[in-house]
Amino acid sequence: MIIPHFTLNDFLPVMPVGVLMAAAIVLMLSEVFLTSTTRTYQAIIAALASIVAGGIAVNNAFEPARLVLQGYAVLDPFSSWTTAMVCLGTFLAVLLSAGFLKHRNAERGEFYALMLFAAAGMSLLSLSAEFITLFINLEVLSVATYALTAFLRRGPRPSEAGFKYFILGAFAAALLLYGAALIYGATGATKLVEVSAALPAAFAKSPALVYAGLGLVLAGFAFKVAAVPFHMWTPDVYEGAPTPVTALMSAGVKAAAFVAMVRTFLFLVKGIDPVIPFTVFSLLALLTMVGGNLLALPQRNVKRMLAYSSIAHAGYMLLGVAALFAPKLVEAGAKVGVLTATPLTGTAQDVSVAVYKGLLFYILGYTVTSLGAFGTISALERREDETRGNTWDLERFAGLAQRKPGWAAAMALFMLSLGGVPPTVGFLGKLFLFSAAVDAGLLGLAIVGVLSSVIGVYFYLRVVVYMFMRPAPIDAPAPFRHWTTELALVTSAVLVVGLGILPGTITEWFSRVGMVFGH
Amino acid sequence: MNAEQVLFWLFSVCTLVAASGVIFARNPVASAMSLVATFFFLSGIYVLLWAHTIAALQVLVYAGAIMVLFLFVIMLLSLTDSGPVLHFTPSRIAGGVAVIALFVSLTAVFRKLPTAELTWVGDAAKLKNFGTIQHLGEVMYTQWLFPFEAVSLLLLVAILGAVVVAKPRI
Amino acid sequence: MQSWIPILVYLAIASSVGFLMLGASRVLRVRAKDVPPTRELTYESGEEPVGNAWIRFHPRYYVVALVFILFDVETAFLVPWALNVRALGRFAIVEMIVFVVILLLGWVYALRKGALKWQ
Repeated sequence: MIIPHFTLNDFLPVMPVGVLMAAAIVLMLSEVFLTSTTRTYQAIIAALASIVAGGIAVNNAFEPARLVLQGYAVLDPFSSWTTAMVCLGTFLAVLLSAGFLKHRNAERGEFYALMLFAAAGMSLLSLSAEFITLFINLEVLSVATYALTAFLRRGPRPSEAGFKYFILGAFAAALLLYGAALIYGATGATKLVEVSAALPAAFAKSPALVYAGLGLVLAGFAFKVAAVPFHMWTPDVYEGAPTPVTALMSAGVKAAAFVAMVRTFLFLVKGIDPVIPFTVFSLLALLTMVGGNLLALPQRNVKRMLAYSSIAHAGYMLLGVAALFAPKLVEAGAKVGVLTATPLTGTAQDVSVAVYKGLLFYILGYTVTSLGAFGTISALERREDETRGNTWDLERFAGLAQRKPGWAAAMALFMLSLGGVPPTVGFLGKLFLFSAAVDAGLLGLAIVGVLSSVIGVYFYLRVVVYMFMRPAPIDAPAPFRHWTTELALVTSAVLVVGLGILPGTITEWFSRVGMVFGH
Repeated sequence: MNAEQVLFWLFSVCTLVAASGVIFARNPVASAMSLVATFFFLSGIYVLLWAHTIAALQVLVYAGAIMVLFLFVIMLLSLTDSGPVLHFTPSRIAGGVAVIALFVSLTAVFRKLPTAELTWVGDAAKLKNFGTIQHLGEVMYTQWLFPFEAVSLLLLVAILGAVVVAKPRI
Repeated sequence: MQSWIPILVYLAIASSVGFLMLGASRVLRVRAKDVPPTRELTYESGEEPVGNAWIRFHPRYYVVALVFILFDVETAFLVPWALNVRALGRFAIVEMIVFVVILLLGWVYALRKGALKWQ
């Protein structure tokens, strides 16, 4: 029997996870061993842990890409940056939760512990390089978010949302697992590297089995990222979950699932006609961009509108994924082989780097913007309204500019960023992503993306119009004040504008060669 | 037809019969009991596949522990003998069509598989240790460390989530 | 496959015993022509039954069952480990300690939280 040997190097990529886990365990146990009535320290511990974990992840992002931990995990800038963005999202979501929960008298260590566990799951998901590991890590993330969704138990909404999320999430995970089982049956391997090596032979022998496996894996991921034919659960779950949790789901869960999907399919397309994955992802991107924006159009409920808007944004990210599989790039990549760490050559390399930059920058921009937008909504929610249906109605935003100009300005900023109006990070993200997609040869799809985001501007601006041009109703709620909420909103607003004007070194960091292991 | 094939047909037909019992029984407790039977027959199929450990776990964890949980859930709900009456709405019909389409396409996939390479089951040397608990442990604790430790994180999150969601007051 | 034959025979005997007992009692029993009303009553000083035997359970059983399953799964990982720990030595012990300690923290939490308390 060979006893495996590990070096400290192997544990680099899971160090942020270790920090998050340790803090989560401390918070979990603080709830049963400390009986202090003030619990602000819990939010501070959770926020500090996410900063430390994010810092380690940023440090990891400059390591060369390689396989670690017996080939079950990768250490590459792509996953490290994702972890860093997840930690940023968790940091902001924790700050939002502190005020949100205090207002509802529901501040508990378990909530923060679950958030940190969810963040650990997201980070692990983004670095998994093997199907079983991928599935377990996906479940860590999912179980934590199911519990968070049903955390507040006033009225039927949270239970409904939690239940729906659980059933459909379990279904999606089962599809993914079944697909992985079929691929294992075809190739005899679960490690992505080995699967990729065995795929051409397996594909020649039984193409139907490989296609069925790939299709099921794709369906599982499409559920998680809420791509359009698989998006039905999103609005109900996003609406029913506590708003800071919705923010974390729309930013972190989606980013981690996207990164895992990209990583998996980079390995799984070997030996297959490159037109097929390209067509499938383009179709998904098309449906998701157009569908998400059209469905958001009639929503008067702002939280629900943002849920549909997150579907639309998943569509833009899918455009980036489709660009990665553009025949132009795959042809160039096929020559050097998916498995070698050798970078592509010539223009294909430039385009590939630009697509990764666009994708990562878009995810970063969406993370800060959606946390800000959901955060503002969470501050305007009233606990008394939870059982009534109109908590998030547009009318609640009427006249906010006269009563609270600062809050209205922040919300307007986030809406403009979601709509992709300069000088915000949302604009720059769309610019990078769409121009990279055009370079990869996806001109038509990029045009559809731009047109559908023009539809989006309508419903984002409608919120701004209500805030600035409608008179306030008599019983208009004032946002509750809590320093953590304000800190989170100010941070997001600064990042939205700052990254929109001076993306600077971040875009350089995102556009380094060798971003992804094996590509 | 050798003994293994006879057993395979016995177990698979019984699995299907018991599984249809889960769906068609009007009484939820009878459904749950059919599920127990399904798990037992499935574990028989696992034995035929030389997956002894999985077979044992199937009986211990699924037919034992998980069924207790199922019965608890049934008892938590208000019990009526008649289940919901089936209504055909467009979305349900679409769902049914999708399920049938998935079933047909997966059947087609399996029918197309090349059977020539599946004969290694007769290779006694390979099967000496295969699927035993000892061999499973040997592989799991030397080659599958990262997923194994990730399972402990998953179980920890599940404990926390279960207490948070199911406890009346936290 | 040969080693499983005793188990198959055992299963066949065990299940046939059940059917045989029920069948035998069906064949051998005495059938009353009409059921006397006293037959349905509780025997001697037993309590009069009230309502249905199927009542709604209290959800607290559910938490216990959930936590039980999670530790049941943990045990499933201990068995293959126990068979190999001698051969694998210190390495396997460290690895299992990490696994069990992480879960013990969850157990401490559930215990202190009163999730296993019968109130």
